[in-house]
Amino acid sequence: MASIRDNQNLRTTKQDEKVKKYFELQYKMTNRKFKDAGFNPLLAYLMLTTLFVGLSIYLFHKTDFAGYIYLLFALTLIGNLSETRRTAFLKICFSDKKLKKIRVSENLICSLPFLIFLLYKQLFLSALLLFVLATILALLNFRTTLNFTIWTPFSKRPFEFTTGFRNTFYIFFASYTLTAIAISVNNFNLGVFAMLLVFATTLSYYSKPENEYYVWTHNLKPNAFLLGKIKIALLFSSSIAFPIAITLAIFNPQNIGILSLFFLVGWAFLIGIIVSKYAAYPNAMNITQGILLALCVWFPPTLIVLIPYLFKKSENRLSSLLK
Amino acid sequence: MIAVKNLFKKYGTNEVLKNINIEFHKGKVYGIVGENGTGKTTLFRCIADLEDYEGKISSNPNPIKNHLGLLLTEPFFFQKITGKEYIQLLCNARNIKIPDIEDRNIFDLPLSQYASTYSTGMKKKLALTAILLQGNDYFILDEPFNGVDIQSNIIITEIIHKLKVLDKIVIISSHIFSTLSDTCDEIHLLSSGHFIKSVQKANFHVLETEMKQMTIGNKIEKLGLT
Repeated sequence: MASIRDNQNLRTTKQDEKVKKYFELQYKMTNRKFKDAGFNPLLAYLMLTTLFVGLSIYLFHKTDFAGYIYLLFALTLIGNLSETRRTAFLKICFSDKKLKKIRVSENLICSLPFLIFLLYKQLFLSALLLFVLATILALLNFRTTLNFTIWTPFSKRPFEFTTGFRNTFYIFFASYTLTAIAISVNNFNLGVFAMLLVFATTLSYYSKPENEYYVWTHNLKPNAFLLGKIKIALLFSSSIAFPIAITLAIFNPQNIGILSLFFLVGWAFLIGIIVSKYAAYPNAMNITQGILLALCVWFPPTLIVLIPYLFKKSENRLSSLLK
Repeated sequence: MIAVKNLFKKYGTNEVLKNINIEFHKGKVYGIVGENGTGKTTLFRCIADLEDYEGKISSNPNPIKNHLGLLLTEPFFFQKITGKEYIQLLCNARNIKIPDIEDRNIFDLPLSQYASTYSTGMKKKLALTAILLQGNDYFILDEPFNGVDIQSNIIITEIIHKLKVLDKIVIISSHIFSTLSDTCDEIHLLSSGHFIKSVQKANFHVLETEMKQMTIGNKIEKLGLT
């Protein structure tokens, strides 16, 4: 009996050791990413913290809906950790109990900066909601494969909007619902937020570099390739955001000017993210580009300088694959 | 024609390809064989212009990459993209319009399902279908028969015969000798980064015997099976 208990204790200790090693490895991998991008990890953590706090203060200063944006952003970030292949790999490595421990810990670590800021802002309900949702998200067991294909209006021009729409279509429903609410309560700002939410969502479609094969296979020069990507992005994002803009314009004709400006800003960011992506290609966007884009969020006219610069850089980066 | 002249490829200090010289002509099928890690895939990537290299690779029509259908050993697929959309993506990339993709689905693939849910063989058949529909002049097929069922292997063999009739250049690597002897006009043996033997169809059986002797040697005896 004692020997069985000893064996169980030994197994538990080994599993605890594995969990500890897992988090040590994650820490090392994060530091390695910073080093690869040319930053001292300590400095990078400091810069990211400053950037996070700065952007948070700015966001809460600018809009009454910062709490919602915060929740959405935090949950989107956490959602990336629930990637099916990643979870499947963890399932192979750890027992069910340890897997839950790891997933809950990961989700809470990632939501910690958001939780702290929400508490600082005394938004206790939002903080509680984030805490609960982050925990639930870690415990939920999503099905790895769906036996049905989600319809997309962007099937003819794969891949960014085709796959992106399938991953985020519910956000568009939420945006349309928010627009309806904005009209019914006569809140123009909420409507603009709904429209920008559409653009912010489509920006995420261009955040990761695709496999080189999907660039190489194009029978285009870098310039034409980039312009093609930009054209599709503007066309498809507009087709989703346009109904919101039109509805807002009909009910707020006095604000058509500011509405058009926000629409243009949405387009500019979309172009900005595409050229940023290919300026680093085939690597993922680095911290420098992230900071530059963050600077543009703070002061959008920066994009006027940044876009041509990154476009040129993208052409150079793509020239080895596109001839 | 594709002409490879004095091709060298290094990864750091590791020289993977050493002075490769070979010509590929229209209407011919070429087999490239060699043990794992001898540089077959690197050679293909150099020809496809996916790698920097020393030496010269020329082709007519040029540039080679815009006329090349490249079937990778393990094709990569995006999550949540259907088989039909994958074909559409590759055809769009070459500005080819195929109005009836379903009619061209000769492997009976479930084109409306996500390609990432396909089996290894189905993925290979989908990738092959897509590069065939791109209307390429050159084809590099890196292990096209791997993981594919017998029925589809028969179809792939017939496709290669058809490509030869259509005057295309086809370069294949395979670890199954019979698949090469059924399809190729020439087989080139790659070892430690350079070609050590080139054999015409009439002498394939000699190459197979030599390869067996070279590869097996007395290795089986070393196991000491009783």
